[in-house]
Amino acid sequence: MERQLIISVGREFGSGGHVIAEELARRFELPLYDSNLLENVALEKNVAHEGLQKYDEKPKVKLFYRTVRGHSNSPHEHVANMQFDFLKREADAGKSFVIVGRCAETVLKGNAGLISIFVLGDKMAKRARIMEKYGITEDEARRMMEKEDLKRKSYHNSHCKGKWGDSRNYDLSINSSRLGIDKTIDMVEYYIRTRIEHEA
Amino acid sequence: MMAQILAGVIFVIMFVLIVSEKIERHIVSLMCGGLMIVLVFGICMHSPDAIMETLSLKSFMTTNFWYQVNESAESSTGINWATIIFIAGMMLMVEGMGRAGFFRWLCLGIAKAVRYQTIPIFITFMVMSSVLAMFIDSITVILFLAAVTVELSRLLKFDPVPMIIAEIFCANLGGSATMCGDPPNIIIGTSLGYSFGDFITNTGVIAGVSLIIVIVYFYFCFRNDLRKKTQDGGELYYPNPKDAIESKKDFVISCLIFACAIIMLVTHAQTGLTVATIGLFIGVVTLLTAGSAAMTIIKKVDYKTILFFIGLFVVVGGLEETRILELIAGAISKASGDNTMLMIAIVLWVSAVASAFVDNIPFAATMIPVIRTLAQAQGLDLSVLAWTLAMGTDIGGSATPIGASANVVGISVAARDGHMIGWGKYCKYAAPATILVVLISMVSIYVRYF
Repeated sequence: MERQLIISVGREFGSGGHVIAEELARRFELPLYDSNLLENVALEKNVAHEGLQKYDEKPKVKLFYRTVRGHSNSPHEHVANMQFDFLKREADAGKSFVIVGRCAETVLKGNAGLISIFVLGDKMAKRARIMEKYGITEDEARRMMEKEDLKRKSYHNSHCKGKWGDSRNYDLSINSSRLGIDKTIDMVEYYIRTRIEHEA
Repeated sequence: MMAQILAGVIFVIMFVLIVSEKIERHIVSLMCGGLMIVLVFGICMHSPDAIMETLSLKSFMTTNFWYQVNESAESSTGINWATIIFIAGMMLMVEGMGRAGFFRWLCLGIAKAVRYQTIPIFITFMVMSSVLAMFIDSITVILFLAAVTVELSRLLKFDPVPMIIAEIFCANLGGSATMCGDPPNIIIGTSLGYSFGDFITNTGVIAGVSLIIVIVYFYFCFRNDLRKKTQDGGELYYPNPKDAIESKKDFVISCLIFACAIIMLVTHAQTGLTVATIGLFIGVVTLLTAGSAAMTIIKKVDYKTILFFIGLFVVVGGLEETRILELIAGAISKASGDNTMLMIAIVLWVSAVASAFVDNIPFAATMIPVIRTLAQAQGLDLSVLAWTLAMGTDIGGSATPIGASANVVGISVAARDGHMIGWGKYCKYAAPATILVVLISMVSIYVRYF
């Protein structure tokens, strides 16, 4: 029986984490879950995907939400939990996949097939990548980076005990600015293949 | 002065911690209650009497606690044990009813009676939400009603969100009609000595008139959304209400206990039985008839809410003993001058706005000594201020998604099925309805009591 392989990729904004996850999915011939995860959830619940999307990977503002007897009125929390449940079900069913963000390294912790990776980058390199990708100025790129990273950090830390980007929570933390995106992908692929051989 | 500052600081810390949800609210209220006893009553006031009065343990020994021999209203301070016992008893009864399948049976039975047509379900569920919430806590009402609404929406292909928003609003409105409908009313009734009959003939009348207007309002808001129905031509399987009943024996027993509770509550002014006695009786009978399931029922009781109430009463008792609340009453009195109508408007709207954002239970508990002082100072009938406070706190909570516990639970039930209700969507319909009902309450109070 083939080994179950779940690759979770946490990432800083502009680090190329998503591109790395896409390429890993291609090389290992695995389905990729990112924002499309919500489409699967929406399909399962038979509701419009757009209704859920606006709450995806966003932290809740505590002042506006309450919890009563385990019930929360925060749509952000419900959308996150639906995705976590979906991931757990897929993992429990023995499926292999690549998942970007969504606290997967914590949600799927304990699953034998999980390999968790966090991709970070140097500020300068990330900024240059964002400027090129979105065609914006340096200042706009800096603000965009700060805003998105704060959002990801708050989202992650509100759902997990471990801190976002803390290397102790991941099997491998890698700075994509050191080797560049392509070489980073090669290196991560090598790490994953070595792990698979080692654990076989 | 030191005691007043400390009591005020403890109260503010309690409120902030409850809102922040960093620590569970029952732990917060108990810790703050403990601080109030040690720091304010003990160290600052050196007053064992204040501690005893706030703990109110002697109240158990009085006949009036269990059996009201005279009809005169009696005010109490500190821990309101009558409220605690009543709520615990009702929780046991409701748990028993839920286990027996009563609520699901009722919801499905009504849907079947109106032949599973969306608009009639919408209207009857609003009425049912109000009527059930008159006797049962609105969280339980909404928990079952919203779950059945979601189930029916999948079957009949309609958007459950409008119906759930309307049900939440009507549950809060129904709760305002009776003494046992909403926790603020139980606290107001037991603290100031009003009966079930007093509430139903005062707040009940306002709630009844408001319900009719609110049903019309929500009908016009949502009639188009609810009529959008896609016909896929397939044969629909309608759930059978009888399937909801887990055990016929338990179902019959729970119906009898519920009927008994209603009769005892409606007639308690005549029989002399207090809400503490009724709560104790209902709770004990539920456990005795539950047999081997008694332990399961006890474990399901929301003891955290009960502990929260105990701590809360101690903290408010501290504010009362240190006379801080008299300062607040003085400020309201000053703001309204000698104009009692203006005072009513201030109490009503301040209660409504505050309850829209903060838990209405601590707010009502805090305001009771305030209205008591206001009534004495202004020579105004205390009952008028009590009905004003009850309507303000009960209805104000409907305006926002966090204003009342039923709102949070209803929104959560919808969200678990993928139907998200954000602040915008909720407030768009509930906030105008809240303003409408608060206006109706204000006009009703002016017309009837002035």
